[in-house]
Amino acid sequence: MTKWMNKSISELHDALVRKLVTPIELVEDCIQGVQEDCCNAFEATAFDEARKAALAIKEVKPEEYLRGIPFLAKDNFSTKGIETTASSDILKGYVPLYDATVISKLKRAGMILVAKTTMDELAMGGTGTTGHKGNTVNPYDHERIVGGSSCGSAAAVAEGIAPLALGSDTGDSVRKPASYSATVGFKCTWGRISRHGLFPFATSMDAVGFFTRNVLDGSHVLSVLSGHDSMDMSSSYRKKEKYESYVEKRKTLHRIGYFKAVMDAITDPVIRKSYADLLDKLGKRGFEIVEYDYPEKLLDALYPTYMILSCAESTSNNANLDGIRFGPKPEGNLETYSEYMVKARTKGFSDLIKRRFVIGSFSLLSANQEEMFNRAQKARRLIVDEMNRFFDNIDYLLVPASYGLPKRIDSLSTAWSTKPDFLDNILTIGNFGGYPSLTLPLGFEDNLPFGVNITGRIFEDGYVMGLGKEIEDLTGLKDIVFKEGN
Amino acid sequence: MIKVTKQIIEECAKNLMFELSEGQADLILEDFSTVMAQIDFLKNIEGVDAADEMTFPYKDHQKILREDKPTKPLKAVDAVRNSNTRLGNQIKLPKVVGNKHDKVDE
Amino acid sequence: MEFEPVIGVEIHVELKTKSKMFSSAPCSFGMEPNSETVPFDLAFPGTLPVVNKEAVNYGIKICTALNMTIDRTLYFDRKNYFYPDLPKGYQITQQFRPIGKNGHVLITLDGKERRIGVEQAHLEEDTAKQIHLNDISLVNFNRCGTPLLEIVSLPDMHSGEEAMKYVEAIREIVTYLGVSDGKMENGSMRCDINISLRPKGETKLGTKCECKNLNTIQNIRAAVDYEIARQTEILLSGGQVEQETRRYDENAKKTVLMRKKTDAVDYKYFREPNIVPIDLDEGFIYDCIHSMNKLPDQYRKELSGKGLDAYQIEELLKDREFVRYFEDCLDLSVKNPVTLWNLLMVEILGYLNKNGIALKDIRPTKEQVVTLSDLLSAGKINSRQGKEILAEMLEEGKDPLAIVKEKGMEQISDASIIEQVVEDVLAQNAQSVSDWQKGKDRALGYLVGQAMKLSKGKVNPALAKERILAKIGPCGSRK
Repeated sequence: MTKWMNKSISELHDALVRKLVTPIELVEDCIQGVQEDCCNAFEATAFDEARKAALAIKEVKPEEYLRGIPFLAKDNFSTKGIETTASSDILKGYVPLYDATVISKLKRAGMILVAKTTMDELAMGGTGTTGHKGNTVNPYDHERIVGGSSCGSAAAVAEGIAPLALGSDTGDSVRKPASYSATVGFKCTWGRISRHGLFPFATSMDAVGFFTRNVLDGSHVLSVLSGHDSMDMSSSYRKKEKYESYVEKRKTLHRIGYFKAVMDAITDPVIRKSYADLLDKLGKRGFEIVEYDYPEKLLDALYPTYMILSCAESTSNNANLDGIRFGPKPEGNLETYSEYMVKARTKGFSDLIKRRFVIGSFSLLSANQEEMFNRAQKARRLIVDEMNRFFDNIDYLLVPASYGLPKRIDSLSTAWSTKPDFLDNILTIGNFGGYPSLTLPLGFEDNLPFGVNITGRIFEDGYVMGLGKEIEDLTGLKDIVFKEGN
Repeated sequence: MIKVTKQIIEECAKNLMFELSEGQADLILEDFSTVMAQIDFLKNIEGVDAADEMTFPYKDHQKILREDKPTKPLKAVDAVRNSNTRLGNQIKLPKVVGNKHDKVDE
Repeated sequence: MEFEPVIGVEIHVELKTKSKMFSSAPCSFGMEPNSETVPFDLAFPGTLPVVNKEAVNYGIKICTALNMTIDRTLYFDRKNYFYPDLPKGYQITQQFRPIGKNGHVLITLDGKERRIGVEQAHLEEDTAKQIHLNDISLVNFNRCGTPLLEIVSLPDMHSGEEAMKYVEAIREIVTYLGVSDGKMENGSMRCDINISLRPKGETKLGTKCECKNLNTIQNIRAAVDYEIARQTEILLSGGQVEQETRRYDENAKKTVLMRKKTDAVDYKYFREPNIVPIDLDEGFIYDCIHSMNKLPDQYRKELSGKGLDAYQIEELLKDREFVRYFEDCLDLSVKNPVTLWNLLMVEILGYLNKNGIALKDIRPTKEQVVTLSDLLSAGKINSRQGKEILAEMLEEGKDPLAIVKEKGMEQISDASIIEQVVEDVLAQNAQSVSDWQKGKDRALGYLVGQAMKLSKGKVNPALAKERILAKIGPCGSRK
C-alpha cells in the first residue's frame, strides 16, 4: 500500500513545500504502488528516469504546484526513450524519439513520469480488455471492467498509485472509466490542449484528458497543459486561463440542463435517485434546473455516427503502422514489400481492430462514402447543432456518466449491439461538439462507484470545473482511493 | 452503395494490408448487418441529407501558418533506430516492383 | 477516318522552400540518406502536420501566374494508400478544395497564340525516395514531405508539340518565379500526360492512356506523338484503346505498358482532420502576389520594342539570369540593345560555357559591359577590338575605357580629322582612284585600308569609307 500516492496533488504539494516529504520519497512510493498494482494497469515503467528526475529537485516553492509529484500516462502518449505501444503488438518495442507536448509540459512543471498505463488496443474500445496485456480490471471488483479505453490510468488513480494519470478521450474513454472508478475524469475542449504526441484514434474527436481525485487538482493540471502548440495546428490560440481560480472561487454559470429522454430512460434506481437528488440539491443551491427535449432520433444516431466516423478516421490514422520504420519485423520469407506489410499488420493487430478497420474502410469507399461516412458527418452536424441550441440558453448539460454497474468481464460480447442504448453513448456528444466535459463521483451501488458528468460550451472548461467543485462539495465525494475491505 | 459480401470484406482487408483469421470475415459480415441497420437510423433523421458535413467539432479557422524555418533534423542513425529492417541508415525492403503506384525512381 | 488527339497534362512542381510542406525538417538535396527528417516525416505516431507558409506563398504565386482564382480558405484532404514511400499510409493533398482553380496559360504554336486551360492546382507533399538494388529496395525519407504543387490542365491540347510547349511554359513560369528548379531531369518537375483519340467532330472523349517517366521536355513531344500513332493504328485496325498507364522508354523511343487500369485504386479521400481550415489573410495574398518576379511574357512584351528579333528574345528568356542582366543593362541606358545582345549572348555566354562559370560571377560590372557596348555601337572601336577588350575585362577585371586608353584604340570619328586623312590618302593614291573609276571595285577596300594605315588604325573605317565614296563617286563612273 502506498503511503503518499493515495493523497491528492494539493496535499502532496503542501507536504513538499513544508519538506515533510521529498520528491524521491514520493517516486519510491509510486514505484511501490506500480509494483503492487492488482489491476494489470501498467505497460512500460520509467523508474530510473523518475528517480533521477526526483533527485534533481532540491526544493519546491509554494507557487510550483505540480513540482516533485509523480504522474502516469496512458500508453498512447509519446514518451522519449520509453517504449510506447498503445497496448498493441504492432508497436511492440517502439521507443519514441520525442515527448508528447503534454508530457513535456508536465515535466517542465516539475512532474515526474513513473510509468505508462494500459489501454484498449490503440484506444479503440470501452472495456479495458482488448489491450495486448490482457484485462485491466476494476479495483473495486476484479471480476468487472474499469472501463476504457483509458483503463490503466483510471485503475491506477483509483488504486492510489498516483494522483494524476493522463488519458485520452475519443468517445468517453476518460469520462466513462472515471465513472467506474470513483475518480475525476476530465476531457478538455477540442483544441484546448495540444494533441501533438497523442497517438491518434479519431482525430476530429480525440482530446487529451486526465484522471485526478478531486476537481482542484484537475484544474491545476489543465492550467499547465492548455494553450496553443506550434506542433498542433488544431490547438487554439485562445488565451490560457488560470483554471484553478474557477475552482477556488467556485466560479460557475447559472443554468443546468438535463435531457428529458435521458431522465426517462434511466432504469437503475440507485443511479436515478442520486442523479435526481443532485439536480434537486443544485436547484436549492440557487442553480436554475432546466429540462430540455433533445430529440430521441438524434440520441439514437449517436452510436452509428460515432462508430462510422471513429472507424473511418482510425483506419487512416493507423495506416502508418506497417512494421517498416518501427514496430516488429514480420517473420519468414518476405518476397515483396506488400508481403512485409501484410504480415506485420496481420500479426500486429487483434481481430477486433481489424474488424473496425474493415468497417471504417468500407464506409470510406467512394461508392459508399455518400451513404456512410458523409452521412455520419451530416448526422454529426445535426447532433452538434441541436446541442448548440441547447447551449444558447443553458450553460451545462448534466447527465449520469454511467447507467449501471460496470460490466462483469465474463459477460462481455464483442458483437456490435443491434439496438444500442443511447445512454451508453451519451458522452460522445462531448466529442462530436468538442465540448469540455468532466466526470466526478456521484455515488456507490453495491460498493461499485458511478459518476455524474458535466458538459459545457466550448472553451468554458473553467466553468465546467467550477460546477464540478460545487457538485464535489454537495456530494462530499472527493479524494476517494480504493481500500481493500471497504 | 456496394452490397456487403464476404468477398468484399476480404477485399477491404486486403487493401488494408492484412489478412483476416479464420471465421473473421463471417463475424464482420454479422457486424455489417447491425451496422447497416444502424445506418438506417441516420437515413431517417429529418434533414440529414441537407446538412453540411462536419469534420471539425466547431468553426474556428486558423490564420497563422508556420514560418519556413528549418529545425535541426534527426540524426540518420536515430531516424531509423526503431526500424527492424535496415541497411546502414536506410530502410531495407524486399525489392519493390511494378505495382499500382508505379513510382519511377531510378 | 480522321482522329483528333486530346491531351491533358498533370505537372508536379517541387517547391524550393527551406523546410518541408508539413514539417520543419530541412529540404536540402544530396544529403546523407535519412538525415533530413523530423519525426513527422517518418510518421512516428502522434506527429501532426503544420502547414508551411512559404509553400502557400509559392503556390499563390504560381496560381496567380497561371491566371487562377485563389481559394481564400485552405483545406487539406487525405489520399489513402499503402506504399513503402508513403510513411503515413496517406498523402496529404487538396482533393476537394484546391488552392487555385480555372486558370490558363498562353503558348505560341505555329506562330499563333493558343490558350490552354488550367483546371486546378493543389498543394501536397512528396513521397520518400527508393533505390532499387538487385533483390532489395532501400528507402530514404529525405525527400519525403517536400512541398509539391500539382498543376492539372484541361484536355486542351492536340499534339506532342503543343503539350511540349505547354510544359515549357509552365517550367518557364515556375523558374522565373524562383519557386522551383523546374528540372525534369532531376525530378523537380514531373509530368504525367493523358492522351486519347476521338473521331474528328466528336465531343465525347475517347479512352485515355496515361504516360509517365518523361524526364525531358523533348520526351514529351516524342512520347505523345508515339502514343498518337499507336492509338491511331489500333483504332484504324478496328481495335479499341485500353485504359492503361504507360511509360516512355527513352532508348526504344516508344511508350511501353506499365499496368492496365482495370483495378483502379480507391483512395478513400476525406478531409484531413488535423488541419483546421486556414483563412488566408488578404494582406498575405497581396504580399505574395506583389512580390512576384517578372514573368517571361512580361519580358517578351517589354523587349519586343527594343529592336531585338523574336529569336534573340527567346534566347535571352532561356535563362532568367540573362534576361535580368539584359534588363539591368537597359536600365543603365545602353545605346544599342542589339550590340549588347551580341556581347552578352555570343561573347560573354561563350566565355561562361568555356570556363564553366555563372553570369553572376563574372568580373566586369554591368556598367562596364554597357560602356563596352556603347563604345562598339558608337563605332569608337571595331568589333575585333571589342573582343580584345572584353577578354581583358573578363580575365583581369579591367575597365574598358582604361583598356581603350592604354592601347590607344579609340577610333577617330571627328569629321574634320577624317576629311583630312581622306584627302591625304586620295592625293597619295591617284592610281587607285582612277582604277576605281574605271570599274575595279577592289580599289575602295585598298583606299579605306590606306586611311586606316595613315591614322594608325584610329579612324572609324565606316566613316572613312563614306567620305572616300563621296569624293570618288560610284565605281566605274569613267569606264
